[in-house]
Amino acid sequence: MNKVVVGLVLGVILGAIDGATAWFYPEARSMMTNIMIGSSVKGMVVGLLSGWFARKVDSTPWGVVVGSALGLLFAFLVAAMDAAKGRPHYLEIMLPGFVVGAIIGFLTQKMGTSGPATKGAQ
Amino acid sequence: MDSDTAIGGPHDHFPSTQASLLEATAAGLSSEAMERVIALYWKPVYRFIRLKFRKNNEDAKDLTQGFFAAALQRDFFARFDPAKASFRTYLRMAVERFAANEYAAANRQKRGGDIQFEPVGDQGAATESPEEAFEREWQHQLFSLALDDLRAHCDDCGKQMQFCLFEAYDLADAERLSYAELAVRHGIPETSVTNYLAWARRMLREFVTERLRGTTSGARELRVEMRRLWM
Amino acid sequence: MDVSDSVLDHLRHVGALPDLTGTRYELESEIGRGGMGVVYAARDRQLDRRVALKVLDFALAGEAQLIAHLEHPAIVPIYESGTLADGRPFYAMKLVSGARLDRYLAEQPTLAECLRVIRRVGEALAFAHSHGIIHRDLKPQNVMVGPFGEVYVMDWGVDAVAGTPAFRAPDDRLDQRSDIFALGALLQFLLYAPAPPALRAIVAKAMSAVPAARYPDVPALLADIERFELGLAIEAWSEPLWHKLRRFCSRNAVLLWLVVAYTLVKFLLFFLRNF
Repeated sequence: MNKVVVGLVLGVILGAIDGATAWFYPEARSMMTNIMIGSSVKGMVVGLLSGWFARKVDSTPWGVVVGSALGLLFAFLVAAMDAAKGRPHYLEIMLPGFVVGAIIGFLTQKMGTSGPATKGAQ
Repeated sequence: MDSDTAIGGPHDHFPSTQASLLEATAAGLSSEAMERVIALYWKPVYRFIRLKFRKNNEDAKDLTQGFFAAALQRDFFARFDPAKASFRTYLRMAVERFAANEYAAANRQKRGGDIQFEPVGDQGAATESPEEAFEREWQHQLFSLALDDLRAHCDDCGKQMQFCLFEAYDLADAERLSYAELAVRHGIPETSVTNYLAWARRMLREFVTERLRGTTSGARELRVEMRRLWM
Repeated sequence: MDVSDSVLDHLRHVGALPDLTGTRYELESEIGRGGMGVVYAARDRQLDRRVALKVLDFALAGEAQLIAHLEHPAIVPIYESGTLADGRPFYAMKLVSGARLDRYLAEQPTLAECLRVIRRVGEALAFAHSHGIIHRDLKPQNVMVGPFGEVYVMDWGVDAVAGTPAFRAPDDRLDQRSDIFALGALLQFLLYAPAPPALRAIVAKAMSAVPAARYPDVPALLADIERFELGLAIEAWSEPLWHKLRRFCSRNAVLLWLVVAYTLVKFLLFFLRNF
C-alpha cells in the first residue's frame, strides 16, 4: 500500500473515531451522523495530503508538523462553518483536530511505501 | 646472498643427525642416547646434588657418577613417560630418588657419622633453589656444547673469521664494540659483519636444536623446550 | 666452551630473533607473542611500508595457507609466506594498529559500540565458515580494534592448545558451533553488569554446553543481536509479559504519547465545558 492510500484509510478511520467522541456532548448527539461524516471527510483529506507529503519527504518530525498543521487548518474550516451556523465550537474541534492530524502525519511517515524517488530517503 | 653465507644451499642447513630419545631407544641405541644425556646433564646434576643435599665437591662427584652408572645399567629410558613430564624433570626426580636411596643405604651401614655435611661455602648466597640452579646449569651446558660444535664446524669449513667475529661480539662479556668498529678492526665491510654474525647465530641455533633434540623425547617436547629456551 | 650468565642470556635473546637475510624485510621490533610464534614489526624494503611478520616456532599447517585466499575486511590480509634462513616459517601480513579487545575495554565503549564489534567479528566468522574454515581459537587477544573502528580477527586455524579455557567449548569437537560458543563468550566478555536480560539470553544460548542447543550458525546469532538492537523480540529468550509491554511502549513511544495527548485534550475540553 502506498502512503497516499495509507493516509486515506487512516484518515477516514481516525476521523470517524474523532467524530464519534462528540457523543459525549449531549447537545451534539442529535447530529451524530453529520458530525461523523464531516469528521471522516476531514480526516480523509488530511490523510491524503499527509500521505502525499510523506511520499515526497522522508522525515518523521516534518511529517508530524505538516500533519498537525493540516489537521488544524481543516478543523478550523469546519469550526468556522459551524460558527456561521451559530454553533461556535472552535476549541473543541481545532484542538483534537490538531492532535489527530499529528497522528496521521506520524503514521503516514512510518507506514506504507513511497514512490521510487524520495527526497531524504537515504 | 654472498658466497660466504651460501654454503650448504639457500638455508645453510645441515641435515639433522640426532635422533630423539624415544627414537634412539626404539632403535636399540640406548647407550648412545645415554652418552648424549650424560654429556649434557653431568654438570647440572652435580650442581643440583651439591645444592640440594649439601654435599661437598668429592661426595657430589661420587654421587653424580654413581647416578649415571646406575642409570646406564638399568633401563633408564624405559620408565620415562613423556606425557607426564619433560625429560629434564624426570631426570632430576630420578636423581633425587637416587640420592635419597644412597643416604638411606649409607645410614643403615652407619659407623658413626659417615656422611659429611659441609656447608657449601663457595656457592655464594643461595639466591636460587636447587631446581632453578639445575635448569640454569643445564642451559649453560647446552650452549657450551653447542658453542663447541659451532667452533668445530667453523674450523672444518674454514670459517674462522666468522667465528672470530661472533666471539668478539656475541660472546663478549664486557661492552660490545659496534659493527662499524668491528668492521674496521677486521678489515672487512660492515655488511659482512652483519652477514657473518647472522650466519653464526643461525648456526648456533641449529646446534642448540640438535643437542636438544638428542635429549628430549620427541618433537612435541622439543617444541616446548625450545619455546622456553629462547627469550 | 663456558660463558657467563650475561652472555648466556644475550645468546638466548639473539638466537630467538628471526634471521631475515634473504628476505626483503628489515626487523624493527617485537610486537607480541602468541601461542605459536612471535610477531614482529618489520619494514618491507621493496615496497617501503611497514608490515607485521609472524615467525612460527615450527612448521605446522598454519594459518597462512588457510586464510591467504580469503578476502574480507575483518581478516588481516597476508602478503607473503616463506621460510627464514634458519628454517622457521614466517609470513608477512598487514600491520594493524589498534588495541586488542581486552585493552579496548579499558576505553569503556558503549553497548552499541560493543555490539558493533561483535557484529564485525561475526561477519568475518560467517564468511570464513562459508569457505569451510573454522577459527578454533577465538578470544579477546585475537581481536583488534583499530583507531577508526576497524575490527580484525587474527590467529586463524590455530589449535587452542594451552589456550584460554574460558573461550573453549566444553565439547571437544572443533567446528562452527565451537566458534559460536567462543563468539558468545566474546560477547559476554564485552558486557558490563548489569547486562540487559535479552543479551544475557543470547550469550546463554550461544554458550550452551550442548552444541545442538546453540545457534545453528553465526548469522542466526547476529540476527538475534540485530533484533535486540531494534527492540524486537529475540529468538533466544521467551520474555515475560511486562517486558513485552515495556518493549512495545519504547518502540512506539511517539505514537503512544500522541494518543495520550489526544485523550487528555478531549478530557480537558469536556471538563472545561461542563464545570
